[in-house]
Amino acid sequence: MRPDILTKIEGYDRVVRERETCRKYGTDFSVERGAVEEYVRRLHPDRMHLKVAEIIEETPSAKTFRLVSPNGPLPPFQAGQYVCVYCDIGSVRTGRPYSLSSPPGHRGYYDITVKAVEDGFVSDHLLNDIRRGDILETSGPEGHFHFNPILHDRALVLLAGGSGVTPFMSMIRESLESGLERTFWLFHGDREPGEAMFREELERLAARFTNLRYIPVIENPSPGYGGACGYITADLIRREIGDAAGKTFFICGPGEMYRFCIPEILSLEVPAGKIRREVFGPPKSISRSPGWPVEVREDDRFIVSVKGGKSIPAKAGEPLLVALERGGIVIPSLCRSGECSQCRLKLLAGRVYQPEGTPVRRSDRQHGYIHSCAAYPLEDLEILL
Amino acid sequence: MIDYEAIVIGAGNGGLAAAAALARGGARVLVLERHNIPGGCATSFCRGRFEFEVSLHQLSGLGRPEFPGPLRGLLQNLGVLSKLEFVEMENLFRFIVPDKVDLTLPANRAGIIRVLLERFPDEKGGIERFFDLVYRFFQEVISAFYLRDPEVTPEKYPLYFQYAFRDSQSVIDEYFRDPYLKLTVAGYWGYMGLPPRLLAFSDLAALLFAYIEFKPWHLKGGSQALSNAMAAAVLDAGGEIRFSCGAERIVTRDGAVQAVVTDRGEEITTRYVVSNASAVATFAGLLDDGEKRKEALKEVRGAVVGTSFLTLYTGLRCPPGDVSITETTNFICTSTDMDRDFALCRTLDVSEPPLIISCYDVSDPDFSPEGTCQAAIVTMKYAEPWLRVPPEEYAAEKYRSAETILRRIEPHFPGFTANIEEMEVATPITHMRYLGHPGGSPYGFEQHVKDSTLFRNPKPPVKGLYGTGAWYGMPGYQPTLTSGAAAARAILREMSRKENAR
Ligand SMILES: Cc1cc2nc3c(=O)[nH]c(=O)nc-3n(C[C@H](O)[C@H](O)[C@H](O)COP(=O)(O)OP(=O)(O)OC[C@H]3O[C@@H](n4cnc5c(N)ncnc54)[C@H](O)[C@@H]3O)c2cc1C
Ligand SMILES: Cc1cc2nc3c(=O)[nH]c(=O)nc-3n(C[C@H](O)[C@H](O)[C@H](O)COP(=O)(O)OP(=O)(O)OC[C@H]3O[C@@H](n4cnc5c(N)ncnc54)[C@H](O)[C@@H]3O)c2cc1C
Ligand code: FES
Repeated sequence: MRPDILTKIEGYDRVVRERETCRKYGTDFSVERGAVEEYVRRLHPDRMHLKVAEIIEETPSAKTFRLVSPNGPLPPFQAGQYVCVYCDIGSVRTGRPYSLSSPPGHRGYYDITVKAVEDGFVSDHLLNDIRRGDILETSGPEGHFHFNPILHDRALVLLAGGSGVTPFMSMIRESLESGLERTFWLFHGDREPGEAMFREELERLAARFTNLRYIPVIENPSPGYGGACGYITADLIRREIGDAAGKTFFICGPGEMYRFCIPEILSLEVPAGKIRREVFGPPKSISRSPGWPVEVREDDRFIVSVKGGKSIPAKAGEPLLVALERGGIVIPSLCRSGECSQCRLKLLAGRVYQPEGTPVRRSDRQHGYIHSCAAYPLEDLEILL
Repeated sequence: MIDYEAIVIGAGNGGLAAAAALARGGARVLVLERHNIPGGCATSFCRGRFEFEVSLHQLSGLGRPEFPGPLRGLLQNLGVLSKLEFVEMENLFRFIVPDKVDLTLPANRAGIIRVLLERFPDEKGGIERFFDLVYRFFQEVISAFYLRDPEVTPEKYPLYFQYAFRDSQSVIDEYFRDPYLKLTVAGYWGYMGLPPRLLAFSDLAALLFAYIEFKPWHLKGGSQALSNAMAAAVLDAGGEIRFSCGAERIVTRDGAVQAVVTDRGEEITTRYVVSNASAVATFAGLLDDGEKRKEALKEVRGAVVGTSFLTLYTGLRCPPGDVSITETTNFICTSTDMDRDFALCRTLDVSEPPLIISCYDVSDPDFSPEGTCQAAIVTMKYAEPWLRVPPEEYAAEKYRSAETILRRIEPHFPGFTANIEEMEVATPITHMRYLGHPGGSPYGFEQHVKDSTLFRNPKPPVKGLYGTGAWYGMPGYQPTLTSGAAAARAILREMSRKENAR
């Protein structure tokens, strides 16, 4: 402001004195250089480089990778959260989320437990190529599939399918180790008895702790198998837990499991708000999802051109993010399930299929932004990164 | 050839407004944003079926089309006005002091006076004279500065010269006796982050005047709609935006901007940089010239990093009425000692300090999915106490705060806690993470008169380097958007001056 005005305002001298005094005793902000980043990195690192300290064979098809940090304690996490593991396989740079199966009390290591899948890509790479001493690049811990003491009951019914048991291992280990006031019923569905990971540990814990009930449910039991068989049904749940009131349900597994189990849980008169579900990656066959246009087949091929960049081929049945990665275009990703918006990009031309309920912000939808990990090309596309 | 005429660092309100104005003014502009989405504070995030609004409670300065405020014209010039749908709020706020006060101030002068008189009949004279002062003071500000009177003298503008540097507390004490009345009238102090004793009367008057005259507003689609519209305006005018790409260094030579280096190590040449990163990050972290760094930091040496917030975002599985929420904006205070409340901002305690509860669905019923609503509960918090929480206790401390806050609001909104379907707690650390600002302060430095733009050297320490946003002026949507447009104007002027000189 013009000095001739400023100096005439009542109190001008006082303000100037104040300003001078404060400057004299003020802060040298040059020491703040990098301070925010350094602090934030301790809780929410963007990337970590963790050493594989141990590889534990859980079942013939699953291994636990124990990861340690070469630089001090790992960021704390809440039992149920995941890290994304990034890797270069051939010429492709990609990532996959893996729930932490170790309990959060230990800041010395993280466990991830990886199970082989049919036609696996990253899982194959991890299971076959990674050795003790190798370095894995990961994100920090992320995700919202965890216990919330304000919203959730202390009595928890956990429904796991296959490798979906990993977040529950973290929750159960945490509670039993630290004596938290929680009661668990864990239903773990798997194909064969030999495939159920952590079975021995869970049986041991269930025998020792009265607040854990462990119910493995085997889809294809061998003749003479004595335990629960088939799918996790309302009947089975009711038999084990009794009254569903006052209990919160957590479910984690493949997409098909949600389609089957959620109506079963709802039939027990559990309010929708008491069912927490973990996100899951792309389904085996997207074209069977509601709203998929009949005229498009999963192996239809299209061209995706990046504005100001190259053009790449893409398949209708595969997320756009995967097509981009195959084409050598790296864009940020984290949950790979449509939830976190890291892989957000703008669609300039063409149509995509986005599974119902993908949480894209309202105004993002209006401006043509999509989450590329949960968007499937239905024709040639033009995109802006 | 240089790559871009201007590079904007950060896509908060200030950065986006600057970028849109630059691009529309014909400059070749590039925006670098560290996050994957534009907006800075002006953004939203999804949890379950809810999309939580991060920061916009009440948009100021917009005004109705037939009586436009300054923001309306600004948004028009940025090319985004017609792309946005605004929702007017009928009332300023509901003000609750348990067992003492419960009143709702309408967004008009006569209505406010009527409501205050009902509750404080003995203070009739003071109430009327106070609002008269606010109005006459502000009308002087408008004639003198907005309408650019060449002759600004104490004779012509006596109230301005008398009150511009007064603190709000002494003025309130002069006009009112009842401590609850003082509390109510100063209710907006949280929006400036300073208690009346430290808050300039001109700032409190500006808040009251702007919200009464131009009404408080919200946006369909929340603040993200504004950020996306500005980002689209940048793109439509030929500008470029890189998300998930931060600036790491501002390269200068002989005291002038040369280039920006990104966190991917790419050096991009330019003549002008507009930084929406904090003044601390810009000068201490980004600027490569040690001498200029010292000079720039000397300017802000006496300033104090401002407050951040603790926000509890809640998604309820019922409409607002089911839990007795009747107003969009609600303040709950427990004590009349605003200095003590301010001191509590430097502790973890949330059992006493004022709470702001905003439920957008009251004025915009389709803000959240049908049959639901969302409420953001905010209290001011500095970063220090949160920085002292051991990392492994961070999550537990969040839940503890949330529990205390919910216990406090439950008596006023019965059934609230039981109806929560989704919730998230943001702390000063969360703001540090998403904004990159020291202290996680979305308000920049504390807003003392002595640190205001009135006393700052307006000349940038480095040729071509401009700052925009809360760290370089005032916090809030209207001020930060205004500062972005102003930085763009200065650059465009400079560019055309150089063009003409050739
Ligand atoms: C939150 C969350 C937590 C999870 N936790 C666990 C866990 O604890 N344990 C666990 O085992 N799993 C977990 N998963 C699943 C895990 O992320 C992977 O989906 C799983 O390991 C299978 O990965 P994959 O790459 O082997 O298989 P897929 O993802 O099925 O791999 C095939 C995919 O790779 C693509 N592909 C094939 N070849 C190429 C190529 N050359 N270039 C580019 N792309 C190619 C295919 O098109 C296909 O999309 C979790 C998933 C989520 C979302
Ligand atoms: C809870 C809350 C409630 C609020 N309520 C209101 C309200 O009701 N009304 C109102 O008017 N105001 C309100 N505000 C204040 C208002 O939101 C802020 O003052 C304003 O949005 C700040 O804008 P800004 O331009 O300073 O940028 P910011 O929003 O601070 O954004 C800065 C941007 O710069 C980016 N950045 C930083 N460093 C770098 C780098 N090196 N490289 C690249 N990018 C970088 C950041 O990622 C960020 O996007 C509220 C704020 C909060 C947090
Ligand atoms: S990676 Fe999370 S939304 Fe795509």
